Amino acid sequence: MIRKSYVIKHWQLYAMLILPLAYFIVFKYFPIYGVTIAFKDFNVFKGITASEWVGLDVFRDIFSQKSFYVALRNTFMLNGLDLLFGFPAPIILAICLNELRLKAFKKLSQTLLYLPHFISWVIIGGIVYQVFATNYGIVNLLLEKIGLGPFPFLSDKLYWLATYTSVGIWQSVGWGSIIYLAAITGINKELYEAAEVDGASRLRKIWHITLPGIRTTIIVLLILKIGDMVDIGFDRPYIIGNVMVREYSDVLSTYIYRIGLQSGQFSIATAVGLFQAVVGLVFILSANYISKKTTDEGII
Amino acid sequence: MKALKRVGSVAFAVMLCIALLVGCSSNSSTGTGSNTAGSAAKNEKNDSGSKERVTLKVEVFDRGNSPEGMTVTNNLMTKYVQENFGDPNNIDVEFVAVPRSEEINNLNVLMAAGTAPDIIFTYNEGAVYSWAQQGGLMDLGPAIEEHGPQLKEYLADSLQYGIFDGMQYAVVARRVNLQKYSSLIRKDWLDALSLPIPTTTEETYEALKAFKQNNMGGERTIPFGFALAPDSYEPVIWSFIKEQSDEARYLRSVTIGSREYPILMDGHKDALQFLNKLYNEGLLDPDFALDKDKKKKDEHFVNGYTGLYSFDSGQAFGNGESSAVMTLESNVSGAEVAPVLPWTDFEGKNRQPAYNPSGMYIMVPSFSKRTAEAIKYLNWMAQDEVIQYMAFGEEGVHHNLVDGYPVRNSSEEDQKLLYNTGDMLIITNGIDFGSAENNNEYMALSVVEKHRELAIQSRSFADKDAVQQPISFDKPLDSEAKYSVVMLEKYEELLVKSIMSKPEEFDKVYEVTLKDFMDTAGTEVFEERKVAYEAMQQ
Repeated sequence: MIRKSYVIKHWQLYAMLILPLAYFIVFKYFPIYGVTIAFKDFNVFKGITASEWVGLDVFRDIFSQKSFYVALRNTFMLNGLDLLFGFPAPIILAICLNELRLKAFKKLSQTLLYLPHFISWVIIGGIVYQVFATNYGIVNLLLEKIGLGPFPFLSDKLYWLATYTSVGIWQSVGWGSIIYLAAITGINKELYEAAEVDGASRLRKIWHITLPGIRTTIIVLLILKIGDMVDIGFDRPYIIGNVMVREYSDVLSTYIYRIGLQSGQFSIATAVGLFQAVVGLVFILSANYISKKTTDEGII
Repeated sequence: MKALKRVGSVAFAVMLCIALLVGCSSNSSTGTGSNTAGSAAKNEKNDSGSKERVTLKVEVFDRGNSPEGMTVTNNLMTKYVQENFGDPNNIDVEFVAVPRSEEINNLNVLMAAGTAPDIIFTYNEGAVYSWAQQGGLMDLGPAIEEHGPQLKEYLADSLQYGIFDGMQYAVVARRVNLQKYSSLIRKDWLDALSLPIPTTTEETYEALKAFKQNNMGGERTIPFGFALAPDSYEPVIWSFIKEQSDEARYLRSVTIGSREYPILMDGHKDALQFLNKLYNEGLLDPDFALDKDKKKKDEHFVNGYTGLYSFDSGQAFGNGESSAVMTLESNVSGAEVAPVLPWTDFEGKNRQPAYNPSGMYIMVPSFSKRTAEAIKYLNWMAQDEVIQYMAFGEEGVHHNLVDGYPVRNSSEEDQKLLYNTGDMLIITNGIDFGSAENNNEYMALSVVEKHRELAIQSRSFADKDAVQQPISFDKPLDSEAKYSVVMLEKYEELLVKSIMSKPEEFDKVYEVTLKDFMDTAGTEVFEERKVAYEAMQQ
């Protein structure tokens, strides 16, 4: 009874919920119907319903393709590198920014660090080619001046991995640090004062107060990140990648693009997408489970 | 008051739900409705005398180059079409923009959604095949018989390229100029080194080496301007091929897109080994593999770093005052170029690829109800005066008569009307003036005067020993359509990796990457080619 009157009392709030709900139903839940394409010999001119069912044939086809495994491996590899180097980067940056005394300098560097986030990958790709080209790129010209030979930043597979990872960090580190900075502001100032009285150094304070203070945030973001392990953005590998490093730069998203949109094999593309979603779900659930067991914190 | 509010909110929620349901159901009905639309189209096909005003949707490429205030879907030319074709026939012609670079992706989505325009076109054979196979294209044979006499006469032989499995699935445009690739060499460099213009592969190689040793273009000298693009690798590769029979072309080369790749032919490996040698001796741009759009290659040429430069025929001299050669001459004082046939084959001939006399594929999707109107439109376009206007506009306004040929005058008016003439006048690629000589003369008129001789020579070089490609089967091959994108990627990998490998590792790298190509798609494609070839022999 209390519940009912609560709903009636705050009906405006519920009404406001209708639009977001509608969004999810129309754009997220309704299209799930299209997943059936993965189990059909989809003929675009017959439509989804009229196309014939083929059971798991499409999946058999995918799992027999070498290029699929390459794309899958690369997806894990590139995401793994991002997790290893790209995940801690914003945390470190946020802590550094937090330690800055000069307000104006802090604001300025924060703004400058956010900027790359707003640049489209297409433009970043152009810049990367100009900067890292083997013969005429500024980086190699400078390196040559100090006697270090030109490095194949874009054309050698291993160098390319480094380029890919660092460009990614450069692009996202500033933006990623915002959420940690916000978490840091939430830490009780008295803790720092008490530590100071006890004679704790800066590093000690970071280690014992700041880091534990943002632990929850870190864990939540980590779980989400792990859930995204099979999910990889399209722009970055597609634009930064090139023929010479395709062995490493071809990931599931570019694979789907090529097979689905460019070759028009929608069944295969859908099946790979479904596979991605299922593995992603498994990952996020297990990360959450482990985190709950070990630290008592999770997202579900 | 409160009660009223409550009623209002409930009503609002209900309305929203209804709106959603309607949205969903109309969505799903378009998905499944394409079938019925397809059969309905067949019934309506002969219903051309209807008085009702109908809309004909026509694809047009958007290259993002419209003059200010205009779009590809609304400009002076679209108005001309509406006034001269649309209004008299009681048809609203509506143009649908498709971004040039995203053409296939866009068309695939439009076809899948059943919302593609009534007239679609593409150069991509693979896509045409796969739509035809899935039953997505209308058989245009009957409609052409009924509504397209002029079109039939105009296209003549090229129509046959649109017949698959006995059905006229596409109207294939004419292609007037069949020359594919041309090369230029820096004459001033050769003169400075007192070398003749090379006429064989060996001489070319010696010249390239001399360019490098003497740093003719400064520290950045790139003896051979090379990109990861067909205009760079095709001429070299075909000059190494030792097999010429049709049988070899059917059984040991594959068609990817509209090009023939002689992957398994005798000589293919030698070609790549030769390129590998050039690369390792520093005669190619070390970053050539990043240069898929040829921008760097062109940039290096106009800046005077490049010694030998090959390009799509016509490109280097086109654009009048702002042609690549003009730009080079203004950037580098004393620069001089000469047309050259740099590569010779085992017989000493200059075997090189040429186009088939067919242009783009123009099609009507099977769900379209406007087949008759579509053919009427193309038939209207095939009239001399329409071709004349759509290609050259009016005399004195958009073009001037020079030696009896209409030459566009590059005025503002000209740019406004004719900036995308090639994408509007879809039934022909290039304008035919009756003979090869006339066409050459006309081409020369669009080149700045001092380069005319060179341009004509360059074009005649591109004709020498040229072989029209690709060789085609009488029906589309499933595997080629399915793997066209994958094959091109794997082939590029084969090229890049074997060219860039160390000389002593070449054999191994070539073998591994070729095997990768074969495993991913090649074996299946070659098997199907073999079966199709044998069937054709009977």
